Amino acid sequence: MRTVLDPTGERQAPGRALLPRPVALEGRTVGLLDISKARGDVVLDRLEQLLTADGAHVRRYRKPTFARPAPVDLRHEIAEQCEVVIEALAD
Amino acid sequence: MHDIADLERRGVVALFLASEAFAEAARLQGEALGFPAPFVLVPHPVQDRTDDELRTIAERVYPDVVAALTA
Amino acid sequence: MGATVGCVRLPDGLVAVVKRDCPTCVLVEPVLRALGAAVWCQDDAAWFDGDDTNLELSYRLGIETVPTLLRVRAGVETARVVGWSREQWEQLTGVSGLGPALPDHRPGCGSLSVDPFRIDGLEARYGVSGLSSRRVELADAEDEHEALFDRGWTDGLPVVPPTPERVLRMLRGTTRDPREVVAVVPPDLVECTVEKVAVNAVMAGCLPEYLPVVLAALEAATSEEFALHGLLATTHFAGPVVIVNGPVAARIGMNSGVNALGQGNRANATIGRALQLVVRNVGGGRPGEVDRAAMGNPGKYTFCFAEREEDSPFPPLAADRGVAGDAVTVVAGSGVQPVVDQLSRDPESLARTLAACLRVNAHPKLPVAWDALLVVSPEHGRVFREAGWDRGRLLAELERLLLLPAAELVRGAGGMAEGVPDSMAGRELPKFRPGGLLVAHAGGPAGLFSAIVGGWVGGETGSVPVTREVRT
Repeated sequence: MRTVLDPTGERQAPGRALLPRPVALEGRTVGLLDISKARGDVVLDRLEQLLTADGAHVRRYRKPTFARPAPVDLRHEIAEQCEVVIEALAD
Repeated sequence: MHDIADLERRGVVALFLASEAFAEAARLQGEALGFPAPFVLVPHPVQDRTDDELRTIAERVYPDVVAALTA
Repeated sequence: MGATVGCVRLPDGLVAVVKRDCPTCVLVEPVLRALGAAVWCQDDAAWFDGDDTNLELSYRLGIETVPTLLRVRAGVETARVVGWSREQWEQLTGVSGLGPALPDHRPGCGSLSVDPFRIDGLEARYGVSGLSSRRVELADAEDEHEALFDRGWTDGLPVVPPTPERVLRMLRGTTRDPREVVAVVPPDLVECTVEKVAVNAVMAGCLPEYLPVVLAALEAATSEEFALHGLLATTHFAGPVVIVNGPVAARIGMNSGVNALGQGNRANATIGRALQLVVRNVGGGRPGEVDRAAMGNPGKYTFCFAEREEDSPFPPLAADRGVAGDAVTVVAGSGVQPVVDQLSRDPESLARTLAACLRVNAHPKLPVAWDALLVVSPEHGRVFREAGWDRGRLLAELERLLLLPAAELVRGAGGMAEGVPDSMAGRELPKFRPGGLLVAHAGGPAGLFSAIVGGWVGGETGSVPVTREVRT
């Protein structure tokens, strides 16, 4: 176990925080990242319809294999193009 | 999970969808990474379901997905 | 009976601490086995029953030499001998004729628990360290450097992970109590202890001997007249610049010479960085949040140098400002504007060059408001030194040369909207408010250059340079 001392004024929790969430997805660019597991695309297709109906701009991505993290180029692409991403579907 | 931790580091609000069978693994992985990557669970299994069943599942978890991605 | 020492249960009777690497310990092995002593070994868990490879027992018992033989009665140590001495061992154990084949005595070896490379870690783990900062456990699969980025604790460059042992080592750089409050750091106005400064100094890459300078810089930067909160929150470029005077600069290896304002010197780089990390982490002053700088400047990573006191035409800057000896001066600064004059050989000509370049500070038509720091290089300094010009003489000359006719400064003059109100027309206005121009001496021996570090709004509405003594 590695321990470090908190360098801050200790007014916030010391853990890694999630990014602040937007108020709504309307008008946001939402990436759907398919991990390439069978049938996940059916769920993603329906999510795309629901998100689009709620005013989100949906972009689709697919990583080559669920067995490894997405290639760095793909992660760059998503980070450049999207404000929000949903990765699916681990089964 | 690694993708989510990395994409959040790059400024993308992120979430992953997994079947209930992954609940424990996801929790442990989150602890190991020191990052509570947010996830939404769908009923297990997935691969032998009909398209209609999968679409119904998507509709059912959609509110949870939106809730986890918005403030 | 027996006693619990940390995680170890110490039995009554004979207790010994050894290490296999020590020839004396190897020598006394048969004696210890014959006595039936409870033996803990520091470097080989399998040698005896007791495993002290984490050195907890050794640390807690204050073992300095191995072998150490103790007698424990009713849970309390009643006697102790170190090394091998038949007479002392027989006295302690009450058993005669110990180790007949052994020499009468043999000195022991140093205990691993007092090894200088281990002592900080042991103190951090088992000691009453007195450290009060929250301890953050990194997760198993977390990269320790990425983890510090992920928590928002860095300035964009990697930091040294502030482990308790590193922080303890850092605190040895000062005699001050770790709990002493050094400053109230804006923008969140958080009380900052010596310990918190040490944590951030570790992260910045400081050596312990730099800590007194970091503490002095923080004290200076958080004094009311420096107005750090405003400096942080402004859309302007400036951030704190630290100038170090006195013997401490050479003692800790600071650079006042070649490339003094540049990269490459650990003390210069990390002292300035430590100050900025305290502001970021303790004060909560982060870019894009309270720090609203439109552009900032690269000196906001770190901007710290020592004044070149040898061959300077001027007394030390801090001494001229009332603090002789080891001292820091903080001034708001915004990067470096080069001044080139390779022909002036008399001080009058060189002063005119400097004045012409200083005139454009912020804007050639803006007087009084904006401060600056002028860093004179040795080759320019030589011109003043040989002519007998000290700092006061140069400043007086610059003041005279920089008395500007308002007709040239009013709005619209020269086809530029920027300038002073028409109501000032007819007056002469000084480029700098009194005290608004600092002059220091630094740089390498070759190069007929000087540097202007543009400041921020000076005086009561802005920041005033502050000098503080460096205390150990």
